[in-house]
Amino acid sequence: MVSDITKSIIKFSEVSIGYGKKVLHQNLNILIDRNDFIGVVGPNGAGKTTFLKTLLGNIKPLAGRVEKDNLVFGYVPQRDIVQPLLPYSVHDVVMMGRYSLLGLLKLPGKVDEEIVRESLNRVGISNLSSLNYNSLSGGQRQRVLIARALAVKPDVLILDEPTNGLDTPSHYSVLNLISEIHTEDQLTILIVSHLLTDVANLVKKIILFEIDRFQYGLIDEILSEENLAKSYSTDMEIKKIGGEYLITTKHKEF
Amino acid sequence: MFIVSQRAVFLGAALTQAAIAGVAFSFLHLLNIEGLLSSLFNIQVVEGSFFHHFEHTFFSLLFAIIVVFIYSQSYKQKYLTQDGLLGIIFVVAVAIRIIFIQKSPIAEVSEIESILKGDILFIGAQEFYTLLIILFIVFLFFTSFAKQFRFVTFDAETANAHGLDSRFWLLIFYLIVGIGISLTTRFVGDVFTFAFLILPASISILLAKRTNHVFLYSVIIGAIIPPLAIYIAFKLDVSSGPTAVVTVFVLFLIALLYKKWRK
Repeated sequence: MVSDITKSIIKFSEVSIGYGKKVLHQNLNILIDRNDFIGVVGPNGAGKTTFLKTLLGNIKPLAGRVEKDNLVFGYVPQRDIVQPLLPYSVHDVVMMGRYSLLGLLKLPGKVDEEIVRESLNRVGISNLSSLNYNSLSGGQRQRVLIARALAVKPDVLILDEPTNGLDTPSHYSVLNLISEIHTEDQLTILIVSHLLTDVANLVKKIILFEIDRFQYGLIDEILSEENLAKSYSTDMEIKKIGGEYLITTKHKEF
Repeated sequence: MFIVSQRAVFLGAALTQAAIAGVAFSFLHLLNIEGLLSSLFNIQVVEGSFFHHFEHTFFSLLFAIIVVFIYSQSYKQKYLTQDGLLGIIFVVAVAIRIIFIQKSPIAEVSEIESILKGDILFIGAQEFYTLLIILFIVFLFFTSFAKQFRFVTFDAETANAHGLDSRFWLLIFYLIVGIGISLTTRFVGDVFTFAFLILPASISILLAKRTNHVFLYSVIIGAIIPPLAIYIAFKLDVSSGPTAVVTVFVLFLIALLYKKWRK
């Protein structure tokens, strides 16, 4: 059983990623194990989104192979891109997670309703089911989008900047929820964030993208001031206070 | 409803003009599609029949579909916004329509303008049944694939990530819209078509609490306002098409004020 749990479920072999003729990264060799919790970080334009889209199969790798054994992905987009004019209820939005699994013409049935209920319960918003998505706070909307991703019954959950624009209580409440989902549901999670401190305190492994370069490994191996300085082209300071990371940019005196 | 929610309203305007440009092009008789088909299938073309108008309909559809394909591929380029692209299509369609009409060998400019602009009062049995078939096909498509259209218009990125090809479904969506617009524009005119593409959905979004209700209200408004407008137009001795547009706009203002008052 132990070997099954630690089995690699995603394998990037000599993969090049990019758009059209523009190659962002070459020779990516990445193994992602079942129950991994991985942070994807790096400066803007370093290739985080391209990596995610390649992993999801939305863009083809320019070279190499991505093996992912018919995995089901649950995706949580950046909240700002979802701004509906139509009055969708929370239930409607979470049900969308079932749509891709229903086939061309089939309508959602009892099983789908049950899964939507479970997903809403899992993220603690079953009481909001009938409310209009547009009427919710940022933190509640983020939970709805996470519930929708869980309704897919995913093998891998991918979250893109899940705490962007949230107030402090919602920010930590969403991070706690993600951590809970990982530990209690044994779900493989990839989280993209520009907030290095959050990622460092949350995940076990990290993929650090730099322009033309990337590093992947356990957080303690990758997270060094030298690596971050190279990646972000600025001096960074890593402190550990009470076992928690605090990553800041070093202030320069002018 | 989905056009408004997709914030692709201007696509409707561009499509109506492209459809009219297509009809205008058919008056040039550069390609005799009607003659070609009637000889191929050995069909006798009867004056006033749908087939009699097939050449206009064919080019109207062709122009609208070309616009849909250009729009659906616009994500690939970074030099223009989608709004900018639609603006260009709009003005070019208007300009080439004028040129096509001026160069038409068969009739007076004003005569062609009135033919290709359509009028709700001149809808005969043929046009009525054609519009009914269009309504049925559009309704069938949007109810059969409601879940795909809902998801890709709500959040195309996640739909893609979850395995629904959002570009494919958006292309299908725009094609249906394009076909619907080009055929209705031919019969009831561009202003009427565009207004009834946007305003009933906008009113419904203001009033409805559920997405299904938006659909229902839009259909009800679209069904009730035109006969009411024809009655008002008759009483005031004005054109029926513009009266329908103004009537639905007044309803929109009332809905907007009601929404603000409720808040």
